[in-house]
Amino acid sequence: MQKAKIFTVLYLLLLPAVLFAQVTTRFVISGLIKDGKTGETLSSATIGFIGHPAFSVLSNAYGFYSITIPEGTYSMVVSYSGYTQDTIAIDLKKNLVMNLSMFGANGQLGEVVIKSKKATNILKTPAGVQVLSMEDIKNVPVLFGEKDVLKTIQLLPGIKSAGDGRSGFFVRGGSSDQNLILLDEATVYNASHLLGFFSVFNSDAIKDITIYKGGMPANYGGRLASVEDIKMKDGNDQKIAVSGGIGLISSRINVEGPLVKGKGSFMLTARRTYADAFTGLVSDTAIKGSKLFFYDVNLKANYTVNDKDRIYLSGYFGKDVLHLKQADGIDWGNATATFRWNHIFNKKLFSNTSLIYSNYNYNTQFISNINNVRVSSQITDYHLKQDFNYYLNPKNKIDIGADVIYHITQPGQAVSSQTSAFNNITLQKKYAVESALYASHEWSASEKLKITYGIRVSMLNVIGPGNFYTYDNNGEIKTNTYYKGGKIVKTYINPEPRIAASYQLDNSSSLKLSYDRNTQNIHLLNNSTSTSPTNVYLPTSNIVKPEIADQFAVGYYHTIDNRKYEFSSEIYYKTMQNQIDYKDGANLIGNDNVEAALVFGKGRGYGWENYLKKKTGKLTGWISYTYAKTERQINTVNSGAWYPAGQDQRHNIAIVGMYQLNKKWALSASWVYNTGNAVSYPSSKFSVDGVPVYYYTSRNGYRLPAYHRLDLGATLNGKKRAKYESSWTFSIYNAYARANPYTISFQKDPLNANKTQVLMTSLFKIVPSIVYNFKF
Amino acid sequence: MKKIILLIALAATIQACTKVITPKLNNAATQLVIQGAVSDTAGPYYVSITRSVGFYEGNVFPPVSGAIVSIADNTAGPTDVLSETSPGMYITHSIQGIHGDTYSLKVMLDGQTYTATSTMPMPVALDSVSFYVSDTTQVRAQANFKDPAGTPNFYRYSITLNGVYDKRIQAFSDRLSDGRYIRDKIDNDTMEIRKNDMVALSLIGIDKSTFTYFKEAAEIAYSNASLAAPATPTSNIMGGCLGYFSAQTVSTKKAVVKF
Repeated sequence: MQKAKIFTVLYLLLLPAVLFAQVTTRFVISGLIKDGKTGETLSSATIGFIGHPAFSVLSNAYGFYSITIPEGTYSMVVSYSGYTQDTIAIDLKKNLVMNLSMFGANGQLGEVVIKSKKATNILKTPAGVQVLSMEDIKNVPVLFGEKDVLKTIQLLPGIKSAGDGRSGFFVRGGSSDQNLILLDEATVYNASHLLGFFSVFNSDAIKDITIYKGGMPANYGGRLASVEDIKMKDGNDQKIAVSGGIGLISSRINVEGPLVKGKGSFMLTARRTYADAFTGLVSDTAIKGSKLFFYDVNLKANYTVNDKDRIYLSGYFGKDVLHLKQADGIDWGNATATFRWNHIFNKKLFSNTSLIYSNYNYNTQFISNINNVRVSSQITDYHLKQDFNYYLNPKNKIDIGADVIYHITQPGQAVSSQTSAFNNITLQKKYAVESALYASHEWSASEKLKITYGIRVSMLNVIGPGNFYTYDNNGEIKTNTYYKGGKIVKTYINPEPRIAASYQLDNSSSLKLSYDRNTQNIHLLNNSTSTSPTNVYLPTSNIVKPEIADQFAVGYYHTIDNRKYEFSSEIYYKTMQNQIDYKDGANLIGNDNVEAALVFGKGRGYGWENYLKKKTGKLTGWISYTYAKTERQINTVNSGAWYPAGQDQRHNIAIVGMYQLNKKWALSASWVYNTGNAVSYPSSKFSVDGVPVYYYTSRNGYRLPAYHRLDLGATLNGKKRAKYESSWTFSIYNAYARANPYTISFQKDPLNANKTQVLMTSLFKIVPSIVYNFKF
Repeated sequence: MKKIILLIALAATIQACTKVITPKLNNAATQLVIQGAVSDTAGPYYVSITRSVGFYEGNVFPPVSGAIVSIADNTAGPTDVLSETSPGMYITHSIQGIHGDTYSLKVMLDGQTYTATSTMPMPVALDSVSFYVSDTTQVRAQANFKDPAGTPNFYRYSITLNGVYDKRIQAFSDRLSDGRYIRDKIDNDTMEIRKNDMVALSLIGIDKSTFTYFKEAAEIAYSNASLAAPATPTSNIMGGCLGYFSAQTVSTKKAVVKF
């Protein structure tokens, strides 16, 4: 019954598409768009026709495009960010397959930037979407000279850093677990290395990143706040290429090349830090001999079977190890694998089938003479995904798809030594099946109005085996029911409507609107301010309901001086349901009844995001300013009044500038400022058996000191030789040594037992770094 | 965790730096703090009443006089009305703690009544106190005892060094350790344990609500910086005050540091 209803809804949604199919002599031009030098497929390249502004299409995630237009002669124009525009004369009398190779604007980066940005037109992209290529982030200065996509997107409006030494980032008032971070479609649960100093995405292996802050297309789902869709490079299918970098703290290498020239290629990228090389030099015996490093490996291969089929295999594996000698330690890592099969059914219908594996696990060990305990936890996903893109005609494109994810979470397992004070525990595994059906219609209603609308129907089945509890108000177990393996305990179905419209006001400005609903079924529990790797992942259950967010956004986009400058201003309003918090004193670790310690509430947020970007010339860069507010309401907190969420930052500014001094030197600088996060400070203190303990009146009633920081960078390009290129990257993080808050402790004054004090800890003063990059 | 972060800072050839700041803190109304206990050791037992002070003031908590304080053994019957022997310090006369009995505290002050109940757990004996040198070459005491299997047990520790009470809150529950032989390291406050020191360690068996109060108090006192949502500890006394009332068992062992 439910199914029949869903299909009726889908049919009604797709009806306009069917009606708009017209009967004139039309032919299809389709094919793949690639980089001519490396064979990388190019997604989001624009295919247009001079004199026919309505005939325009973007290549999809696999570089495939298809457009159906009337018989005639055309000048077809293909353009892509960072590449020389290509114009091809076409006499269209029959269906055509045009596989196109594009060539980079060969030369210095500055020139690339000049030529590139003309291609992407912000007036036409949907609201809330931003695409960054590696070229865009290349010169932005970062910590330890490691360019990093996840760090760079935090300089964009509406995306906020969680602060120094904290992993994760906040998008439009969402918490950090509400971002869906995908690497070649596989979910990456913990995207940070070294407690947030690096992201797990090695920039050598990454092709591009697309960020959705709102107006999520219906093919994405599962998180409330944002999607970061990161794609790995396919690998050079023309020749073997090696590149890498040697830095003070880490080194990396990338090898790519053809498997079969022009038909298949591979890429292998690896990176390792060696910060622990320094620990041997330290005299402190606690630190000497400690292990402290991370590494990651990216691997990808693809093979074009025939003109209709192409397969891809990609994988990521990374691990962090932080072990103090003879003491506590943690290690954690992500592993993902994606197998994809692209199939072109016919010139209009493209299909992709993906089989995805994703795993995140962590181990914590506590070692002290005799009390040795090793705690581990993990989450594993098996994911099957099917997408169809149907290019009906230039005005209509239809996407339909389905996916099923089988989640297995192992909340905790502790193994203790014989003499330990702790028992061995194995918490029961939790199983859930998350599935979705979606349909979306991209409709160019007129030359000026473009509407993408669709629906995603998501379903979550909580399944056995396992004991399922209900709790009374005091958190005591009321009932306990055992469900056998595969038995459905509870089903949640949520229709998620999505719509995004853009209306071009004139040649240089457009108005965009979007509304979307998202649901989330994997929840992260964390009762510590540091996003530690030992957080607990909890799937939706009989107690925990799916989180739901509704977001409405309006934006104005403007280009100035023939697109040399872009300006955008967006306003959003968001409401959230079934947000999760904890009762005071909740035990999240090693607790089979962790759900009894949870409380649920609502959230809301709004914001105004402004962005001005200079895209051409010797000086490029952007200024972003966001005004935002985000609040929570939970009955048991602050007497049920709305209070600012921890990630609430009122003002947020980022200024990024890159200057091409000459052929050799490129300089860059970035400055960020944000209002301090909302925190809870005590108002007074009282005695507990003579120890001063602090009295708190309300949650998040105070603000951390404001955060600001200037980073500087410089790149020196070595002489270009036929077979070898090199460059030096110099950077200074926190150039004016601002002491930004990492933690604020209220504590006894160590020098005066009769006093208490407030101590602020900052992590970085000035961090200089040098990296040598090479390519051959 | 703190150590690991320091390690990162160090390895990156940079140093985390700290500075004392003085953020403006709102003034909250003064809070009443009642602390009382009945134990299985010989009486008298004490109830102390103090008030909270502003954060930037000294750690001197003004005593509160003039309260009417009584403790009753709900299981056995007798009620003991306490006498105020020094300002804010109230003392029992006759009541004696018995394992398994439930006790209630009643405090009347300025027209307000504060009440609490607590049940004394069965005793758990501390086998011994031993010492070891930690990786930082500091001598630390260790509690050695067997946790009874099958029942939830809650403990806190109290330590004196050459007869001087070390102001340190430390609580432990057998949630993950039921029935194990426990060897638990004891944190000490500012006092350093040295060779030839006489250390007296008490293992105090408490009930669940008292444990919750001490556990939350320890988190707030020592690790408020890493809590996502620090909050005032949950008192087990009704009526709108802070503090605790605990019916508890006490087992004490003494030892001299040999190294």
